[in-house]
Amino acid sequence: MSDPIKSTAIKSPKVAIIGNPNVGKSTIFNQLTGLNQKIGNYPGVTVDKKTGVMNHEGSTYQLIDLPGTYSLYPNSEDEIIAHRVLNQQSEIEKPEYVLMVIDSLQLSRGLFLASQLIDLGLNLALVLNMSDLAEKKKIDIKGFELFKALGVPILHTDARASKGLDQIKDLIHQRNFAKPMEFLKVSEYLDPALLIDVKEKFGLATDYQAYQLLRFGLKDRGLSPEKRTWIADKLASISVNLEAAQLEETKLRYRKITEIIEKVVIKKDAIPPTTNKLDKAFLHPVFGYVIFGAILLLIFQAIFAWASVPMDMIDGFFAQMAGWASSNLPEGVLTSLIAEGIIPGIGGVVIFIPQIAMLFGFLAILEDTGYMSRVVFMMDRWMKPFGLHGKSIVPLVSGVACAIPGVMAARNIGNWKEKIITIMVTPLMSCSARLPVYIILIGLVVPDEMLFGFFNLQALALLGLYVLGVVGVLFTSFGLKSILKTTEKSYLMVELPSYRTPRWKDVLMTMYSKSYTFVTEAGKVILAISIILWVLASYGPPAQMDAIRAERDQQIEQAQSPEEIEIIEVEASSRLLESSFIGIMGHAIEPAIRPLGYDWKIGIALITSFAAREVFVSTIATIYSIEGDPEDDLTIREKLNSQINPNTGEKTFNLPTAFSLMVFYAFAMQCMSTLAIVYRETKGWKWPLIQTVYMTILAYVSALITYQILS
Amino acid sequence: MIPELAHKFMTADQLPLLKQAIIREVKDSPLRINLMELGFLPGKIICLHHVAPASGPMAFLLEETILALRKNEASLLEVQLL
Repeated sequence: MSDPIKSTAIKSPKVAIIGNPNVGKSTIFNQLTGLNQKIGNYPGVTVDKKTGVMNHEGSTYQLIDLPGTYSLYPNSEDEIIAHRVLNQQSEIEKPEYVLMVIDSLQLSRGLFLASQLIDLGLNLALVLNMSDLAEKKKIDIKGFELFKALGVPILHTDARASKGLDQIKDLIHQRNFAKPMEFLKVSEYLDPALLIDVKEKFGLATDYQAYQLLRFGLKDRGLSPEKRTWIADKLASISVNLEAAQLEETKLRYRKITEIIEKVVIKKDAIPPTTNKLDKAFLHPVFGYVIFGAILLLIFQAIFAWASVPMDMIDGFFAQMAGWASSNLPEGVLTSLIAEGIIPGIGGVVIFIPQIAMLFGFLAILEDTGYMSRVVFMMDRWMKPFGLHGKSIVPLVSGVACAIPGVMAARNIGNWKEKIITIMVTPLMSCSARLPVYIILIGLVVPDEMLFGFFNLQALALLGLYVLGVVGVLFTSFGLKSILKTTEKSYLMVELPSYRTPRWKDVLMTMYSKSYTFVTEAGKVILAISIILWVLASYGPPAQMDAIRAERDQQIEQAQSPEEIEIIEVEASSRLLESSFIGIMGHAIEPAIRPLGYDWKIGIALITSFAAREVFVSTIATIYSIEGDPEDDLTIREKLNSQINPNTGEKTFNLPTAFSLMVFYAFAMQCMSTLAIVYRETKGWKWPLIQTVYMTILAYVSALITYQILS
Repeated sequence: MIPELAHKFMTADQLPLLKQAIIREVKDSPLRINLMELGFLPGKIICLHHVAPASGPMAFLLEETILALRKNEASLLEVQLL
């Protein structure tokens, strides 16, 4: 299929879709474009840029789905993007037409944004969505009266039931947009003479554009430094209180809108306010939390049960591909790089997709039904003392499955400080990748016995590690709260939307787009680190490495049976790893990790498992020359149980060492995928580096204390 | 202020559940504009819909929407009971 975006890029007009949050804007976008969607990036921010192509009667149109916003006042990154695109500072993103979606039940709030769009001088059309709900609530909106008052074409739709979508397509196709008269003159709240040079400098058509740019231009890092300096100088040279002007503008706008609404909206009968029955249950001071806990449990059950199937398939597929590559490609460095570095590296990225997609699928369902903002409402009180926000609950609970979607979900937190704290602590939640490590070590040192005939000791130990993660989160966020400084005021203003059934198509689109973002953005970093680790693990001082290889080949030649060859190969790979650069590093860090109860072999596993925690198990299998299937817990357990620590003469994996290791893994970063996603979400290396350092220190100190107490 | 109406003036965080009140003023604060753009404006009618446990956020019904605010933000809204 040819790419319609490329072939008609010059001629197809751009249409931006904008609206308040929760008005069904994305549903309309999804239905207009179908699967013809692309996800990209806006420079300087983490907001996803969603564009799509609409084909109608032989013509194509480029659609841009702008993030939901209440006004053009840019408070969050989402709103900065809406502000930037609509103020047309960027030629590439400049839309010819703007389609605004309004919730029929929230007409005045919608018209507030609409009136701002009118004043920007945009070619506009309004879609009054959710007409079904308005009908139910006996609210009648006279579309023609509204058209007369605003001068903008109006459509009624019910996007969930796909009603009115053809009219939207026709409207776009017929270019039925209008650029009406100013809604509110800038002169009513600000002297327009101040704006003359702004208009000239930036080539703007309307006073309102100039006022917006002057008031908010500095918030947009997408503007060139030269332009930003110019705005800063201009602001310094005038003595007008722009903030007061903005307040006045807001009041005047709403006053005019109220007048219009009185004319166009007919409420048939007023219904007295009551508490929704569902809210009585979901927001109950006791049962509300019980229900939330039950929903979480259900989600994690589902993720652990369902995600493991595709994850095992991906794992098997990449293992087979690596095997195929090493046996079918000509022997050499390149093959070994492909088979042992690149293929497992890509596999290491792809393996996360089932979890990420499923978690975001569940989150989208909770969001779409209106439940998620209730959770934020209930949890805010408990998060606030720790420097977190009610919205931090989503990343933190996601972290129990995997920190990557958790960190990605932190994007919705508007306040910079609360967002950074959330990102910093989310990886401390015990994710599913820690489970293999915990299970092996607990199986090794904790007896499978009942305490008081009721609690299984092993289960208690595992539960303890999860609790430890939560304690780590609270402790660290509390610390960060007093360290990080911000002038931004923390606030909570969220809408609790009406309960609705989720739109499955939108849920699927979210699952797809989040997985896509992860693979394309974090994938590069993960692949790069995998290759570096491969180089370090496969190369060492050549003389030693060659000697081991020569000895191995010689032994293999003399071997009598295939079993003997396998033993020789396993032992050789253990010695090769020991002599490699990573092995040398493992030896080098031994003095530092000896107080934690580890020997250099564990040191090697600590370094290799920086890629991902579960690598610990396979490295341990290699380094202790464990034959057979390294996935088989029992073989590993027996072998490990017989290891003697040369430093102490005791069992290597005794109780203190095992617990010290588990505590270390509970807190250490040990996941390059998380590192990569933090890099993406914070737009730089500063925070991922700080995070790695603090988590490693926390892990080291806690493991040290654990070992010293237990031994 | 008319004396007999005085007891009816309060800030929105002190509102009883499900009683309608009219917003008289939004107090000066950095958050004033955020409240106003959401539609918390003088003259609008609000009603407390739900309070989260342990003095948590408060959910107000404003026109047809339920909006949650923290106690601090609610105290910026000066209201009069209807």
